[in-house]
Amino acid sequence: MEPVRYVDLLNQRYKQLGFPEYKWTVNEDAPLTPLIKPLDECRVSMLTSGGVSHCSLEPWDAFARNDFRLDTVDPMATAQDFEVNDSYYDTTDANVDLNCVFPIDRLRELDEQGVIGSVAPRLWSGFMGRIYKRTEVREVQAPALAAELHDDDVDLFLLVPA
Amino acid sequence: MLVSTGLDLTRLVKPPRSLFVNFPMGNPFGPPGSADYQRRILTVALELTSTMNTPGDITELRDAWPADFQDKVEASLLMG
Repeated sequence: MEPVRYVDLLNQRYKQLGFPEYKWTVNEDAPLTPLIKPLDECRVSMLTSGGVSHCSLEPWDAFARNDFRLDTVDPMATAQDFEVNDSYYDTTDANVDLNCVFPIDRLRELDEQGVIGSVAPRLWSGFMGRIYKRTEVREVQAPALAAELHDDDVDLFLLVPA
Repeated sequence: MLVSTGLDLTRLVKPPRSLFVNFPMGNPFGPPGSADYQRRILTVALELTSTMNTPGDITELRDAWPADFQDKVEASLLMG
């Protein structure tokens, strides 16, 4: 199967629904920080934006818009400790096995096997649903998360949109 | 490092480094219950972080989802 053309499909869908033309974020360049440590010395953290919540917390609003809630995730929690609520993708498999979308058990195993140096003390779940406030993300929310990662001495950050 | 299931979306946003997996949204690390497969994709993503040094580069994993996943695509197009 060829890669899905989500931009075209969503543009068509929005038009059918009578929405104004969507202005996609288009970045002409990207920052890049070289990884200077070998992987087996790196502290790794991970973010999911797939509506993943620990069962002790309120579930995510599956239809969330501009929700800047950001949960910390205990890396010792296991996949069975979570539920997934997100109306923007098929969560059936993720609710059967969270590792499909947020491989928390696999990451811990790579730590135990010495493939990575360590798992960071905090993983993350946030930026879920549709977020239209780009300036808020770019200038406030993302820098705040970057500061938290810095506090945790994270070397490598894995982002998984779902 | 971003693990992506939307190639066109990733090209627009241009994260520093991305691994594109041509799987349905909701399955970037593969099907449920496939620990070995999930571990492999996770390991590939982590290992690529040290070798991808051109900003905005996307590495495409060649693995194919075993079936058409149009039903899952439809689910990802729903509007709340």
